[in-house]
Amino acid sequence: MSTQELLQTRKDLLTIGDLSREEILQILDTAKPFKDLFTRSVKKVPTLRGKTVLNLFYEPSTRTRTSFEIAAKRLSADVTNFAVSTSSVVKGESILDTIDTLQAMQVDYMIVRHSVSGVPEYIARHTHAAVVNAGDGHHAHPTQAMLDAFTFREVYPDMKGKRIVVAGDILHSRVARSVFEVMHILGVEVATFGPATLVPETIPSYVKILRSFDEVFEFDPHVLYLLRLQLERQKANFFPSMREYHKLYGVTTERFKILRERGTWIMHPGPVNRGVELVDDVMTYERTLINQQVENGIATRMAILYHLTPEEQKRLPLPEEIRA
Amino acid sequence: MSEQLIQNGSVVFHGEKAPVKKDLWVEDGVIRQIADKISAVEGAQVLDARGKILHPGLCDPHVHLREPGREDSETIQSGSEAAIAGGYTHILSMPNTDPPIDTGGMVTYVQSMAMNRSRIPVSVAGCLTKGRKGDKLAEVADMAAQGAIMMTDCNHALQDAYVLRRALEYTRHFDVVVGVYPDTPALSGEGVMHEGELSFRLGLQGIPAMAEEIAIERELRVAQAVSGRIHIQNVSTAGGVASIRRFKADGLKVTAETTPHHLLLNHESLKGYHTRFKMMPPLRTPEDQEALLEGLKDGTLDMIATGHAPHTDFEKNLDFSHAPFGVTGLESALPALYGQLVASGKLDWQTLMRAMCDAPRKLLKLEPISFVEGGKFEAVLFDPEGETLISRETTKSRSFNSPWLGETLKGKVEQVFLGSSKLI
Amino acid sequence: MNETTVLNSDEVEVVIKRLAGEIFQKAGDECIALVGIQTRGVTLADRLAVELNTLGASFEQGTLDISLYRDDLSNLAALPHIESSEIPFEVEGAHIVLCDDVLFTGRTIRAAMNVLLDYGRPACIELAVLADRGRRELPIAADYTGVKIETGKEDYLRVHFQETDQEDRVIHYTAEGS
Repeated sequence: MSTQELLQTRKDLLTIGDLSREEILQILDTAKPFKDLFTRSVKKVPTLRGKTVLNLFYEPSTRTRTSFEIAAKRLSADVTNFAVSTSSVVKGESILDTIDTLQAMQVDYMIVRHSVSGVPEYIARHTHAAVVNAGDGHHAHPTQAMLDAFTFREVYPDMKGKRIVVAGDILHSRVARSVFEVMHILGVEVATFGPATLVPETIPSYVKILRSFDEVFEFDPHVLYLLRLQLERQKANFFPSMREYHKLYGVTTERFKILRERGTWIMHPGPVNRGVELVDDVMTYERTLINQQVENGIATRMAILYHLTPEEQKRLPLPEEIRA
Repeated sequence: MSEQLIQNGSVVFHGEKAPVKKDLWVEDGVIRQIADKISAVEGAQVLDARGKILHPGLCDPHVHLREPGREDSETIQSGSEAAIAGGYTHILSMPNTDPPIDTGGMVTYVQSMAMNRSRIPVSVAGCLTKGRKGDKLAEVADMAAQGAIMMTDCNHALQDAYVLRRALEYTRHFDVVVGVYPDTPALSGEGVMHEGELSFRLGLQGIPAMAEEIAIERELRVAQAVSGRIHIQNVSTAGGVASIRRFKADGLKVTAETTPHHLLLNHESLKGYHTRFKMMPPLRTPEDQEALLEGLKDGTLDMIATGHAPHTDFEKNLDFSHAPFGVTGLESALPALYGQLVASGKLDWQTLMRAMCDAPRKLLKLEPISFVEGGKFEAVLFDPEGETLISRETTKSRSFNSPWLGETLKGKVEQVFLGSSKLI
Repeated sequence: MNETTVLNSDEVEVVIKRLAGEIFQKAGDECIALVGIQTRGVTLADRLAVELNTLGASFEQGTLDISLYRDDLSNLAALPHIESSEIPFEVEGAHIVLCDDVLFTGRTIRAAMNVLLDYGRPACIELAVLADRGRRELPIAADYTGVKIETGKEDYLRVHFQETDQEDRVIHYTAEGS
């Protein structure tokens, strides 16, 4: 019937660094047909029928959880949400206890969010289920980075040599770490910008550190990626005040004018702090990709779920029409 | 074992660069004769130690026995058995038990338990401040009178320089040493590993080297000003080694220890978020490892202490940030150090003997051990060709949080002698 | 494996012309939709389109990737790459002719029908195949068949098209000794 290219598959997606460039491109390519499904009257495909996807969120995040939930449901999987308060850890229930329980429930895919770095990796080592890291501590948020790459690629199909500035609190950002990695692997020139207290010198050497908005304009990025600022950082003396942060590192009305003239695209993982990372006008700017990022999140996560295979699933030899 | 002849062993003597092949005749726990060749007489037990190293019994000045309070992770009995398995014939028990050892009564209590439950002598350290809270001095003189020779708050670093000063002054008259764990809590904060590129990549909060370096500098400066007797525990940084070297050159009477893990491992081990590598101070960089080894060789670092810190599987199975700091070390120390440093020629037996026997014994005010005629026979017989498997099945400790769990180390502790008793 | 040519280049052309004729004859003035199944079904649909154009038929065209609807997906040792499905017409009420190169177990066609039904409710779905090798596992039959041949279960039947394989040919590989 057809000669089809075969995809690599893996058990878990824990960090971008685990993926090769080819694998990243395969997933991004696969996300496109999934996005096309959203225009049909039935947006669902039977791909994961009979499989169970578990959202294991140790840290509340309605947005990411919902995105995964919709993605899994559009693949016809059964989705269960398992919210765990971190306090149960202290009360003498280890993560391993929870995983043993879930293992007994025959879950096929686990979507894990935890405020501690490394937990998804730890869980993945102890379960047959395919594990997707939905954000761990300051470590990694690979599905966010993949959807960002997908969104970038919709605007610039050839990403090589394009430029991105990731601005804000790099120190505490798992999004920044994963976005750095995926953009670098795909050939994008990466720079970063933020208060020196929040941009440690230990960031990867391929990331250029910019010190002022003037240097940002000089770098002239195709995409300006603004990170969400956690408002409690101010209390820990990382910077003196919100006012000063916005003045030095935010997209002010004046800077927005320049960015609009240049046609710079704006990305943000959401939710936005208006008046901190950016002024309100940016939200209605025609080159703000924030809503596309959300939509693409579903398609990309569908592609990622499609890409992963739980252990212990019996494998049949490829049928004739695929092998041909 | 009233009479024993040990033949053909390679004996580590003081003042000899390499082990020397000698026969030893031991009677009632005392070395009667040392010669190139001693013939067996009837009735004597003969041990052929060909190819094996005969080394003085080891001494560990930093062991957490967890009793009383956390007998689920270790007891005096299991911890001392682990020590014997590792070739140790004397250990110093740390006072961060529950309740802490911060009164003379507690010192006596733990000592009497140790007399009954341990086959090797156990010295007891007391707390420097009441309840290890860092504000009020514990009754140091009372504890000293009961036999405590070190006062330390363990991993509760002294934050208050005023308390440190008074402690170092007050203890001067009681012939005890103040043990400090060098850390600046405001800088190490909630950190869980060495701060650097790797901590950034792993998204784990870092503990900067300066947290230790500043503390060492401060502690030594205060000790110098008040002529206090201070011992620095767990040195892990190159900067820390440099400070100690400088103060020693200045004439300060300070001793310092580092651990087998900090000498042999570095932060790269943390890549997989395995909690059995989580310890305080954290594993540092390869450059720090180099500096520690250099410091050990030139005597800046006097001794190697395992800091043996048992934790239950449940505790170590928590996620990386919630799991407690600390690794066990008694059973792995000698083979790990031998395999990685001695066998490869980076460290000689003389330095190892100083670091694992002479210096800690001196710190604990114990008689030195020497292989001399008329001397007490306290020794470990080590087979360099043997292997030590660190596994749940073989471990004598109640806890399994060794960084080398599952690994086979080069060399094996075969026999341990303490006077007239053969411990293994 | 023994190799037998079932249809050569000229014969492939003749058969496709005949299939187009049959489709046109049945459809008359009604607008039909040719939907090719990735990848060689798409080529067959393209070839039929050329012929139908010559005949003056009115029709629309689309493509389907059925990978996500495979009933053996979770058991495969590797995953098929997913191509885009393009259905640029209203499926609701359409007269659809599904096109595929080989009809075998019927499972691909089952999947293709499910995909189409998720786009809407067509008036009817017909099936055109270049070769029917029998050995059905589902109750499915072609409305337009290029060539019908007997095959063994372990045999291969391959359709080569100029566009993908540099030649037009239908080849039957028989397992040794059968």
